[in-house]
Amino acid sequence: MTKRKRFGVSQALTRGLSETIHVVENNAGIFRNVILPLSRIELDPDNPRKLTISLADVQNGLDKNDVAYERKSAELEKLRELANTIESSGIINPIVVYKRGETYRVVAGERRCLASILAGKNEIEARVFNEKPKGFELKLIQWIENTAREDLTLEERIGNIRDIIQEYQLQHNTDDLSATLLKTITGLSLPQASYYLAVLNAPHDLKRAIENGKIGSLDKAAIIAGIGSDELRNQALQACIEGCSLKELRQIIAKEKQAHKKQAMPPKSKRGRVVTRVNMGFTLNTMVVHSIVAAVLMQPDFKKYADIFSRVKWDQYDQAARAFQKLIEILEHETVR
Amino acid sequence: MKVIAFLNNKGGVGKTTCSRTMAEYLSKVKKMPTLAIDFDPQCNFSHQYLKMEIDPAAPEGLIPPIHPDYNSHDLEDADWDGRSSIAEIFYGQGVVPYPTYIEHLDVAPGHAEKLLAAESVRKSEVVEKVHKQLTNFLSSPDVLAAYDSVVIDTAPSKGPLTVSVIKAATHIIIPSVMEEQPVQGIYGMLQLWMQESLAREKTRPLKLIGILPNMFKQTRLHKDILKSLQDNTAIGKYIMPVKLSQRIVFAEIDSEDANPHSIFDYQQSHVAKDEALEVCSYITERIFA
Repeated sequence: MTKRKRFGVSQALTRGLSETIHVVENNAGIFRNVILPLSRIELDPDNPRKLTISLADVQNGLDKNDVAYERKSAELEKLRELANTIESSGIINPIVVYKRGETYRVVAGERRCLASILAGKNEIEARVFNEKPKGFELKLIQWIENTAREDLTLEERIGNIRDIIQEYQLQHNTDDLSATLLKTITGLSLPQASYYLAVLNAPHDLKRAIENGKIGSLDKAAIIAGIGSDELRNQALQACIEGCSLKELRQIIAKEKQAHKKQAMPPKSKRGRVVTRVNMGFTLNTMVVHSIVAAVLMQPDFKKYADIFSRVKWDQYDQAARAFQKLIEILEHETVR
Repeated sequence: MKVIAFLNNKGGVGKTTCSRTMAEYLSKVKKMPTLAIDFDPQCNFSHQYLKMEIDPAAPEGLIPPIHPDYNSHDLEDADWDGRSSIAEIFYGQGVVPYPTYIEHLDVAPGHAEKLLAAESVRKSEVVEKVHKQLTNFLSSPDVLAAYDSVVIDTAPSKGPLTVSVIKAATHIIIPSVMEEQPVQGIYGMLQLWMQESLAREKTRPLKLIGILPNMFKQTRLHKDILKSLQDNTAIGKYIMPVKLSQRIVFAEIDSEDANPHSIFDYQQSHVAKDEALEVCSYITERIFA
């Protein structure tokens, strides 16, 4: 008797339906995309990106007597580059804002805002948070927006992380912080997270070098932060400031360690998983399999199995592989442990 | 005021029958002041309550009759041609709902030509000219004061008319026949629901009451498709636990001189009436509880 046909909705449609439902369930009402007048937008003074240039500077032009004139004009030049692309093709990603009374405060997208004003735009596409993001979330969004940017200094990046950690500890009422936790919060890789933690807790000499912009690499800073001896750390710090590579830096430390090390014993415990079986390996030459099978079949106890292998085409991988598996099966059966 | 819309961009799945049943349940059974809005250029929903007329100058279809309150000698009505459809919202005119034979039910009828014109507004203007208009109308103080519920029947489309209904609605229901093509229509509507939900503020969510299995027949096809939707963890939650069966009585009450004219006028424990009561009270419970 044949089974009666079962009807159903196609897989593609079922998938489309459930995906759509998930999107709504997970995202409804979190934010909405709108076009906002730029005149309603204000920058966040606490944004981790410390742009010197202000909204007024962009609107009214720079003042030559301004103490920060030089830095500001460099920033303005960069903003002009962005403004040119905005003029021709608009902003690609909407900025992120939240409503604050009559105005909207920027969570992420300061430069896009300023450059849009430079480009002569009156409006900007924005993603509006319906509520002010909580301190921790706000910092996290700013961090995520900034994390891919190359023009942040190491100090700015470390400052970011410090803020995130503080907000997190405040919100969760905890002092606890491990690299694993930092990884979970920020989505950093575990090594990166531990680098940041190392640098955050770095001795003063290293911190100062970072503040002065003398050290810009996180990996190097983390290595230096890990050096216990003041003397050696200072040596590494100097080498780093003079532009030594990561490899050279590691060598300095290794050499120093070598000198102090007294015949360290190799660790006794084995690393890796416990080995409980034999990997039989693989070969590209099927005739190897043929030879093994032939050799086994010559044994008196195994001659009776010769028939099984008589029709195997040894030049074909699949047949050879199956034959080998069969052989192992037979051997396991016949061989007493 | 709750705004309930029945949507599916596949035609013939029973949107009008569902809208009608719901509007009559709320007004007749629940005695709730209700406005029925016909947003479908075919105007079938309007035709249940009004004698829609064929406009000789408009070959596209039906137009509303002369309003009972219209007085051609009254100076106040001098600027009015005496007909009023929901499509007036697209032309900056006031909408004057018509009373129906049911005490608590008014209807804002469709107007084939004017609704079709709104549906074909140019893309660049559609947001201002169409999408927002129904929301504006339904949030006017007069409407809010007059009605506790609004039931909207929609056109089988995903166009500007349907979008404006979605923007105005508080609750949507997707009636569907349990067959492949109408279920594809569900997908189209869920997409619109998604777009609108993402754009709305949290305080004003667009609630999807669910997918209402409609015109259901005890056949393998309908049962299997219903089951496959129910069995899916994401979709299953949105399949309503009630359904309307395929019954000739719904077609019978459609005709102009049918008696009774409403499903709720049938005798006690009439099988179709009971089913309609079950569906409507479920929806009402979900919306008003």
